[in-house]
Amino acid sequence: MIRLIGVELRRLTWRRITAIGVIGVFLITAFMLFATWRESRPLSEAEQRAAQTQYEMAHRDWVANAERNEADCRANFDPSTSGGMSVDDVCKWSEPKREEFGKPQAVFRQIAPNMLQGSAYLLLFAAFLVGASFVAAEFSTGAIGNWLTFEPRRLRVYGSKMAAAGLWFVPLGIAVTGVLTLGIYLITARLGSTAGTDWSDIVGLIARVVTTTAIGAVIGGVVGLVLRHTAAALGLAMGYIVLVEGIFASFLQNAQPWLLVRNFDAFVLHDTRYVLNKCVTQADGNYVCNQIEKTLTFEHGAWYLGILTLVALLGAGLIFQRRDVN
Amino acid sequence: MPDLAISTRGLRKTYRTRRGRTVVAVQGLDLDVPVGGVHGFLGPNGSGKTTSIRMLLGLIRADAGTMTVFDRPVPAQLPAVVGRIGAIVESPKFFPAFTGRRNLELLAGAIGAPAQRVGEVLEQTSLAERGKDKFKGYSLGMKQRLAIAATLLKDPDLLIFDEPTNGLDPAGIREIRETMRGLGDQGKTVLVSSHILAEVEQVADTVSIIGHGRLLASGTVAEVIGGGAAATVKLGVADREAAARVLTAAGLAVRADGNHLLVDGVERPAELTKLLADQQLYVHELVQVRADLESVFLELTAGEGLA
Repeated sequence: MIRLIGVELRRLTWRRITAIGVIGVFLITAFMLFATWRESRPLSEAEQRAAQTQYEMAHRDWVANAERNEADCRANFDPSTSGGMSVDDVCKWSEPKREEFGKPQAVFRQIAPNMLQGSAYLLLFAAFLVGASFVAAEFSTGAIGNWLTFEPRRLRVYGSKMAAAGLWFVPLGIAVTGVLTLGIYLITARLGSTAGTDWSDIVGLIARVVTTTAIGAVIGGVVGLVLRHTAAALGLAMGYIVLVEGIFASFLQNAQPWLLVRNFDAFVLHDTRYVLNKCVTQADGNYVCNQIEKTLTFEHGAWYLGILTLVALLGAGLIFQRRDVN
Repeated sequence: MPDLAISTRGLRKTYRTRRGRTVVAVQGLDLDVPVGGVHGFLGPNGSGKTTSIRMLLGLIRADAGTMTVFDRPVPAQLPAVVGRIGAIVESPKFFPAFTGRRNLELLAGAIGAPAQRVGEVLEQTSLAERGKDKFKGYSLGMKQRLAIAATLLKDPDLLIFDEPTNGLDPAGIREIRETMRGLGDQGKTVLVSSHILAEVEQVADTVSIIGHGRLLASGTVAEVIGGGAAATVKLGVADREAAARVLTAAGLAVRADGNHLLVDGVERPAELTKLLADQQLYVHELVQVRADLESVFLELTAGEGLA
């Protein structure tokens, strides 16, 4: 089995689509860093002067009117229309601060999670595509028949392909997220702030991104094996995203905890939030809709992805074990 | 040491078409392939040769029947004997974007063959210089040679070639034929399936003929030829017309062939001389025209579809 995994890893490394995928992922990562650098650049002198002017105007207005505005607000406050917010929350008229004008400072602990989440999607897509192509190509070229005359134990053959697909993307995931994290850190250290960075959070996030990348490659392999063509696998993925995550999800909001992307976010980000529209007809006959924020937990996402992967692996293994190879 | 390299009993395989129709590809095939030498596996297109080979190799499942390879039941114990089997099923299928060498390196890696074995088999099949070219750029003959190289990685005792000369030019056909004969002469068992009779007749020691998924005849080439078609005799006699009348009256089919007569369906040629001598007609030449495998094949598979 180890020998077969080694051979499959070599084959995956030699494939042109793998090289294209790796180059593409690193190019997009470089673009993400470039965008971060552009966003982190300090303002030009003209922009700083404009921000200063804006600040001074806002501050003059606050000095002149804040007290009166706050008093008016408190006088007119109606708790029934405040959406549960207190009078202090609604009517507090804070003094403007200089840093609120112009571009906000680039802070590593704020930027890094968002960028890593973006790279998680990128890596997932690349891993799915390469994994699907890796397995489907054997069926579309007919090489699997030749392969099975050398190793007829199908579960070993299947296991080695899936293991190789998953394992190959672990170092790639580490490399991409590592480069991205280091790049953002260097940019923010020079042009923004790295204060308050919790490295255990960042390392945990990277580990989860790498895990979902490996899962993406395995699921790609499973779909490639079942459909036997890379284009069909890609079509299925696109169809799922458009039909289920797009159209179906917009009609059935309560199904959100069971959507793949939502659970992916919950796992990668260690909890995610989503909003449900709750509409009711009140006693006075008014039809009122309130937005309720819900949390999908990390544990839910982890179980969801784990069970999905296991079921997909078992199902495809059964199909491969029983399928005639022509 | 088993006597049979391959044995099947009651082997059956049906397919369901997309329209739901059931097609019987192999129905109750009993096949015995002796150890050593070249065994021809003959039948028209669509007679079930490739399906049978695929079942032997565990690529498709049999609906019924039993199979053994070197006395091991397959597919249950196929892993135990697969190292002794080299097979090319239909056209050679490798990864088109990889070089011939890389394709072989992957297969060698899968069976734990030493790396230098790849170079050796490339040399053996005269592909050493083209090993760095991509498979998709190979000619059909080179693809076949690469497939043979792949089978040789294992140094197998049983080689299965399914229609190995399809699409090859005459030189390629001769090359493959010589390779098969050479392997057979080394004591290896070569099973070659084909619908091209001349190809098999020239190399095979034993043959099996199938049609519609059933065994029609089996044995050495001589046995199959002898058992399948009665002899035709070429007769030289001075008065051909009189001789033809006598023989026709005796119930034999007689045809003119230049200065000779051809008499079909003769079981004992010596009796012809007596029959004619009794009528004062003396034979000056009598030659038994040897039946060939092709005539036997056509006779046995008459009415079998050539789909």
